[in-house]
Amino acid sequence: MTARLPANILIGAVLVALVAGAAVLSAVWTPYPYAAIDVANKFAAPSATHWLGTDQLGRDLVSQLMAAAGNSMTVAVVAVGIGCSVGTVLGLLAAARGGWVEEIIMRLSDLGFAFPALLFAIMLAAAFGPSLSMVVIAIAFINIPTFARVSRAAANQIWRREYVFAARAAGMSSFAISRDHVLPNIAAPVIVQATIEFAVAILVEAALSYLGLGAQPPAPSWGRMLAEAQTLMYLAPQLAIWPGMCIVTAVLGFGLLGDGLRDISDPRLARQRSA
Amino acid sequence: MIALRGLCVRTGTGHLAVRDVDLTIQAGQRLGVVGESGSGKTMLALSMMGMVPDGLQVEGQVLVDGHSIAAEDERAWRSHRARSVAMIFQEPMAALNPLVRVGDTIAEPLRRHLGLSRRDARARALNLLEETGIPQARRRLDQYPHELSGGQRQRVLIALALACDPQLLIADEPTTALDAQVALRITDLLVRLSQERRMGLLFISHDLAAVSRTTSDIMVMYGGDVVERGRTASVLSAPEHPYTRGLLAARPSLMTRSRRLPTIPGTVPQLNALAAGCRFAGRCARELPICASRRPPLSPTETGQAACHLLGAQA
Amino acid sequence: MSDPVLSVQAVTRRYGLPRRNLFAAAPVLTAVDNVSFDLAAGQTLGVVGESGSGKSTLARMVMGFERPDSGRILFQGQDIHRLATGDLQQARRRFQMVFQDPFGSLDPRRRVGWSIAEPLRAMGETDTDAQVAEALEQVGLRAGHARSFPHEFSGGQRQRIAIARAIITRPALLVADEAVSALDVSVQAQILNLLMDIQDDLGLAILFISHDLAVVSCVCDTLLVMQGGQVLESGEVSGILQDPGHDYTRTLLSAARLGVS
Repeated sequence: MTARLPANILIGAVLVALVAGAAVLSAVWTPYPYAAIDVANKFAAPSATHWLGTDQLGRDLVSQLMAAAGNSMTVAVVAVGIGCSVGTVLGLLAAARGGWVEEIIMRLSDLGFAFPALLFAIMLAAAFGPSLSMVVIAIAFINIPTFARVSRAAANQIWRREYVFAARAAGMSSFAISRDHVLPNIAAPVIVQATIEFAVAILVEAALSYLGLGAQPPAPSWGRMLAEAQTLMYLAPQLAIWPGMCIVTAVLGFGLLGDGLRDISDPRLARQRSA
Repeated sequence: MIALRGLCVRTGTGHLAVRDVDLTIQAGQRLGVVGESGSGKTMLALSMMGMVPDGLQVEGQVLVDGHSIAAEDERAWRSHRARSVAMIFQEPMAALNPLVRVGDTIAEPLRRHLGLSRRDARARALNLLEETGIPQARRRLDQYPHELSGGQRQRVLIALALACDPQLLIADEPTTALDAQVALRITDLLVRLSQERRMGLLFISHDLAAVSRTTSDIMVMYGGDVVERGRTASVLSAPEHPYTRGLLAARPSLMTRSRRLPTIPGTVPQLNALAAGCRFAGRCARELPICASRRPPLSPTETGQAACHLLGAQA
Repeated sequence: MSDPVLSVQAVTRRYGLPRRNLFAAAPVLTAVDNVSFDLAAGQTLGVVGESGSGKSTLARMVMGFERPDSGRILFQGQDIHRLATGDLQQARRRFQMVFQDPFGSLDPRRRVGWSIAEPLRAMGETDTDAQVAEALEQVGLRAGHARSFPHEFSGGQRQRIAIARAIITRPALLVADEAVSALDVSVQAQILNLLMDIQDDLGLAILFISHDLAVVSCVCDTLLVMQGGQVLESGEVSGILQDPGHDYTRTLLSAARLGVS
């Protein structure tokens, strides 16, 4: 038997590569400027010049989708990045210190869990006005408790290993032990969680933009495109279908990838599945 | 009753983890298998159960009451495991389902293989538990594994192993995870059960003291080969094979009064680095030129048999 | 006799157990109950007992991982549990530990040279290569092994690596908690001999903790038999072996004895 990657990782990786590729490409090249209005050419059918046609203002659909992918990924990377780093640091701190420090960090993260992400974002938008930065802040904030929890649970296991005792016996400080031993050994579960949270972040961004609380015109976003296409559902359904497909692709891709990574990083789960 | 003829276990890379073992266990016989890690002792036990892990290949014959069981006949193996042979392991907690009451665990094979009713199976399970000498056997029936101590769990596993009245009980390091006091009682129990039931016992251990207490015959393995066999007491008091001698000398004993122990140089080699001839070649203090290339046959000694070229050289 | 390297004075450690039910008081387990002993330089003290005897708790308290509820642990005259965190980290250079599990005591993601140098880095030393090489050779390995990962070694070799890490700071005290229990008999003898060689070289005191009376009696000068947190008997090894003062010690003796003359 040769080691084979599970199907969900392969499919997930292909979908993620597709979306990420489009996002990166959009930074340097799109077929047309995504906001270029060409009223004479509105509702154009797919053709060699406009691969997926144009919208009600004659903007090129492919260009908009690509630029939106860029926006979506940026939001996800920045927001999950912040949530992951802050949360993991808190989790490491909780595991290293224990006692009341751990208690406070974990009770605060319980509080964070009790807060629905969308509600929090709506509050932020109401207070500071809707913008993509608010979306980033909201997603980052709700990610902190998740990562604090995952990293603390994993770190607590590592702290019980003999090599950590050995490091303590050597006189290493708990900061050095967290950095040298704990962090490298909990990287796998944290990365898995980050992949899954990526999918959630993309979905939340789309939802908020759909509600008008995220990307503001003319900034491209799959959620906002969906909202604009809603009124034209019967006239031009393709304008809603394509952004919808993009959201599904991105969310499914990261979701499958995260699931698959979790399977291979946790052999117990993998065995249960095959049994 | 249970015999091995020319048994080999071959790994996926073609190396022999067990090489050409002949073995017969009679009713009521207690045979100890001694060896360090990599000696093939656990593989030998698993091959007698037909449970060698995937990717390993068993060659040679396993005979039960004179009938050979074909390696691929899974049904024959299942009935063999259900009726004639049972096994207990080092870590009793890992071998028990934490969510099932002890009584139900023991009753399950009774109902499935012997077709007993629920009530009869429970009564029989109680008998078996009492036979293992567990205190308050009736109460234990309704307890979960985590409510028992390590020694009690091992007794439960023994009761489970006895459920279908096996001809042979294989015990793979059954006392290694237990405290000395408890280990003493478990080995006493195994001896008593083997005598009372005329049941064969294959006792696998690296602990020479436990083997000497438990068994009447002994087989010393190294690198997949049987290097020496005979009566336990005589082999341990007058070992013939250099490996057995080295092992006994290296073992700290209450008599050792010097601050240094005699050692066997080197470490147990990986399977792929073993010599083609005598497996012990390369670590042996009394090695002859012939040893690395020609495998010494088991030849008779004062105390039994040993596989060593020195035996021929002296004669 | 000179001042002891380690002096354990009337040390007690209790753990609160989870309550059986809401209204019962939480039961208390006394893991170590009023234990005292002295250990001088160059001497080996064996602590024998089974799981739950309190011997590992004792080791953790001597290493400063856990605080005793009462009593004092003096290392070279200093009460280690009264030192400030930074001072304790500095003092650790002089007492080190070897663990039971040769597969668990080395970080699988780190090269062994990195792990061996850890106590030196903790003291702020950066140029460690020469000392790592020396320590590796002292435990019978080659300097080149520093670049390998733990999984490339056998159990006995890993225990050698763990010993190299423990002696790299030239400690005055080595705590060996079941340090040879997981090893094969022939390897166990090699590691025991290595510990004795190192003791002769460095003149260090060894606190040798094991469940195996035969092993302890081989390497130790004095002996402490523990059960249920209490010291049942203590004294010279030969004296206890010849005339055990307790039934429990006699059981341990018979468990360790080969059933042949």
